[in-house]
Amino acid sequence: MTGPDAATATPPAGTRVPQADPRPHGLGASVPPLDALAKAQGTFPYAADLWAEGLLWAAVLRSPHPHARILRIDTAPAVALPGVHSVVTAEDVPGEALQGRRVHDRPVFASELVRHHGEPIAAVAADHPDTARLAAAAIVVEYEVLEPVTDPEQAFNAPPLHPDGNLIRHIPLCFGDPDIIGDVIVEGLYRVGRQDPAPIGAEAGLAVPRPDGGVELYVASTDPHTDRDLAAACFGLEQERVRVVVTGVPGAMGDREDAGMQIPLGLLALRTGHPVKLVATREESFLGHVHRHPTLLRYRHHADTEGRLVKVEAQILLDAGAYADTSAEALAAAVAFACGPYVVSHAFVEGWAVRTNNPPSGHVRGEGAMQVCAAYEGQMDKLAAKLGMDPVELRMRNVMATGDLMPTSQSVTCPAPVGELLQAVREAPLPPLPVDDTEAAWLLPGGPDGAGDPAAVRRGVGYGVGMVHMLGIEGADEVSTATVRISNGSATVICAAVETGQGFSTLARQIVQEVLGVDEVHVAPVDTDQPPAGASARGRHTWVSGGAVERAAKMVRTQLLQPLAARFGMSVELLSIADGKITSYDGVLSTTVAEALEGKELWATAQCRPHPTEPLDEFGQGDAFVGLAFAAMRAVVDVDIEMGTIRVVEVTVAQDVGRVLNPRRLAARIEAGVTQGVGMALMEDLRTSHGLVQKPGFTGYALPTALDAPDVVIAKLVEERDVVASFGAKAAGAVPVVVAPAAVASAVRSATGRPINRLPIRPQNAIVAQPAPPPPHG
Amino acid sequence: MEQVVVTPASLDEAVAALSARPEAVPVAGGTDLMAAVNSGHLRPAGLVGLGRINELRGWQYQDGHALLGAGLTHARMGRPDFAALIPALAAAARTAGPPQIRNAGTLGGNIVTAAPTGDSLPVLAALEATVVLAGPDGASREVPVSHLLTGLDPLRTGELVAFVRVPLLHAPQTFLKATGRSGPARAIASVAVVLDPARRAVRCAVGAVAPVPLRPLEAENWVASCIDWDGKRRIAPEACEAFGDYVAVACVPAPEPEESAPPAGVVQLRRTVSVLARRALGRALA
Ligand SMILES: Cc1cc2nc3c(=O)[nH]c(=O)nc-3n(C[C@H](O)[C@H](O)[C@H](O)COP(=O)(O)OP(=O)(O)OC[C@H]3O[C@@H](n4cnc5c(N)ncnc54)[C@H](O)[C@@H]3O)c2cc1C
Repeated sequence: MTGPDAATATPPAGTRVPQADPRPHGLGASVPPLDALAKAQGTFPYAADLWAEGLLWAAVLRSPHPHARILRIDTAPAVALPGVHSVVTAEDVPGEALQGRRVHDRPVFASELVRHHGEPIAAVAADHPDTARLAAAAIVVEYEVLEPVTDPEQAFNAPPLHPDGNLIRHIPLCFGDPDIIGDVIVEGLYRVGRQDPAPIGAEAGLAVPRPDGGVELYVASTDPHTDRDLAAACFGLEQERVRVVVTGVPGAMGDREDAGMQIPLGLLALRTGHPVKLVATREESFLGHVHRHPTLLRYRHHADTEGRLVKVEAQILLDAGAYADTSAEALAAAVAFACGPYVVSHAFVEGWAVRTNNPPSGHVRGEGAMQVCAAYEGQMDKLAAKLGMDPVELRMRNVMATGDLMPTSQSVTCPAPVGELLQAVREAPLPPLPVDDTEAAWLLPGGPDGAGDPAAVRRGVGYGVGMVHMLGIEGADEVSTATVRISNGSATVICAAVETGQGFSTLARQIVQEVLGVDEVHVAPVDTDQPPAGASARGRHTWVSGGAVERAAKMVRTQLLQPLAARFGMSVELLSIADGKITSYDGVLSTTVAEALEGKELWATAQCRPHPTEPLDEFGQGDAFVGLAFAAMRAVVDVDIEMGTIRVVEVTVAQDVGRVLNPRRLAARIEAGVTQGVGMALMEDLRTSHGLVQKPGFTGYALPTALDAPDVVIAKLVEERDVVASFGAKAAGAVPVVVAPAAVASAVRSATGRPINRLPIRPQNAIVAQPAPPPPHG
Repeated sequence: MEQVVVTPASLDEAVAALSARPEAVPVAGGTDLMAAVNSGHLRPAGLVGLGRINELRGWQYQDGHALLGAGLTHARMGRPDFAALIPALAAAARTAGPPQIRNAGTLGGNIVTAAPTGDSLPVLAALEATVVLAGPDGASREVPVSHLLTGLDPLRTGELVAFVRVPLLHAPQTFLKATGRSGPARAIASVAVVLDPARRAVRCAVGAVAPVPLRPLEAENWVASCIDWDGKRRIAPEACEAFGDYVAVACVPAPEPEESAPPAGVVQLRRTVSVLARRALGRALA
């Protein structure tokens, strides 16, 4: 990837890009993450690096079948192996047998029925990792193999795969007049594949038994309190006796960590009385964690002859895989955003999330919103082609703005500068064609020293706009608690918001620097003895935990300044803090923070809880979202039209960010999101065959490399404050992931003239048929 | 479990070490072997490291041939001096994985692993290379690379790949590879094309579509007859195109029984091979 500097290296004239700020602290500055160097040098400890005296190694036995009845489990051969300390199966789970992120529908260990390839069946603790794996393999499981349900369209009529049935959620959204018909109608069928979060560090953990009969789990959890509650319920222990300690998180694109690994780990520690460690292999990682929902979308757009949208009809089918996880939420997002950031007066969107024997789906950032974006933007391209209209112009005629209604009848109250964003990417200068710029080496599709042929390469330019929600939806209690302490001129933040690479710990430092004027701010490691802060997902920590930190810091500030203000007979508001100094408005008072503290420690704890939302009703109506974020992108691609190979040359981004809190981190988030989106567009698809995961590894599951990551140009960051959000800022990580695949698909459409209705785009869909050559002679 | 690692400094010592401990496994760059060890698929009782054997890390000339050391790394083979000698092998080496892997991975390791996607393999097949195997007690034998790969004449216990004998043809050669991304990746299909002007022959091999590289012999013969060998070695574009299709049909068979229309996967793979072969020949003759 071209690094955070790439976007700032050659800013196109007239564009606003994040600039390096000489100011080393506070909000709006490019404060670097404290752990960046250790991470770059490989010295930062992750869960896989942990060690404890006398530890045992765990291995999990997973199902080789996607659907089977378990007839018999014989653990005796494993127990008999020297070095094996314990073997656990479903029978050994003392508490709740079921777990699950939203719905508890997932057995800790399968005991009667296996519902997906890789489902845990037993776990072993042994004194060597090899012994543990051998022992797991030695467990005899007799299966009656059943026919798997792998086509989500078949799930409706298939026998129930689970006592909860195969329909996880159904939303028939009705908005407006069903009978209205547009002058122009376009239809399309779109498919989106199964993207894996593919964290760079696979799941790992260490469980340590406690003297009080409880257990501590050292894991890279992104939602420690939920993970603790699930684990405690399954262990049959009070929540206080289970402590989740969050280690460094090696990559998180959604809900990280696999409870199917954490719970067995804790069980083994409780049973053996030893610390137990597990490091998942890459294959287990692919089998264990949740993926993005594979989605099938049918659309019909109605417009008038001027290109104004009249009605959108859509059917959206999400493959939830074997268990519910967060599928209900993903479906709500997909249905609510099915029309995109456009004004549509009549919308009829029917969505289903169904159970299959495919690998479980769950929260991967941009859930639901990404899949529909690829489809509604495909429809906009189709409509433009049918009307003979410029695709950007068509979009401009329909863009949503603040005050418009979504098809859920929720009114958009936050900034929604969709038109401005689209305009910005349209006006940004296009990258030169390599033929015009002989200096630059042309990196052809297929890569350096590859098969690419300049004569067969067509360039395409495409556009996408999209939207995503921030924070939990439909009545989720989004709350976070933070504590700020100041003593001796340095401050500490205690908040259970996990730093996943999204930048929360840097932001927390910036907030405290800004409010308390101290430079040195420590962010405490996270564990579940702290009050909950919720999941590190959906951009919530900037808003909710950042808001809590700011409130706590302001309370500390008041405590610090009040005695001074009282002494000098002025109000606190007339005092300001900067660079460790407190000064009054008139300059009469000037002292340092350290002096003002007089050796005391000041503490404050505060909460932030945004305004509540409500569930969508039976017609998909309701104020389900707290906040929305928007982006527009222009993608430039080169396609080798004979081979169908594609390279994304550049992606130009304009994003609605509310307020820039850390320019360098923001650019990095956007680049990372675009790159993940490019992965979805071109290569990332965890394939299954009859429910069996194919090639679960980084050779079979291709991710974008540095050569696949496009130049990301930030054309505009619209800083219109969102008045209800903390700092007025909008979370920036998810919306680039949502829009980039749609923009890339649009560009490939423009290069090839092919429909491009499937992500990732397969080479055969990007090939342009050549006139047949004359028959060979001779 | 006791593991013994020896790092001999000469080929003879290496062969002796291997004879002494037949259960030991040779390791060159370790880019295939160590991945198998780390994932638990392989638990070698001992290792014979080949990295210190200088005689395997370069090449010599012998009667119009180059005798390539098995320890040549992909990075070394990718350099211009090597590319001037055996251009297709250099081209293959340059695409055989990311730089870190190419710095360590060797020609010998690529041959012994014999992965369908081994990038040097179609080139060696097209060059009709032979492999010099060093065995216990100074025994040495030479086997065509294709015999080794197909298992017709496999590596025997205690044997090492010492050298690879490759003809020096002093004519253009190409290697092209189709992958799923722009960055380093395994081949979906690859094609090597080698010109042998002295014999007025074109030799071609297709990699990654079958367990071993495939030679489309009829297509080779046919296309050799289309080339104006005495002139500027030109070929009509239609012939080049037809060569591509010929190679593709020969190397990507439709499943039995022959149906009226081959399945989509076969059509797409044929299309890929066809374009690769056409481009590879076109570039060799350009
Ligand atoms: C990330 C990654 C990407 C890769 N990409 C590619 C790619 O694009 N194309 C490609 O072709 N390969 C690729 N590879 C595979 C690998 O790098 C090559 O096959 C390489 O040539 C192996 O050489 P080595 O020296 O590392 O072999 P080693 O791992 O040392 O050995 C491999 C096998 O050969 C045996 N062996 C090695 N040398 C000898 C000898 N002289 N005599 C007898 N036996 C011997 C070993 O015992 C072992 O069984 C990749 C590997 C990785 C890890």
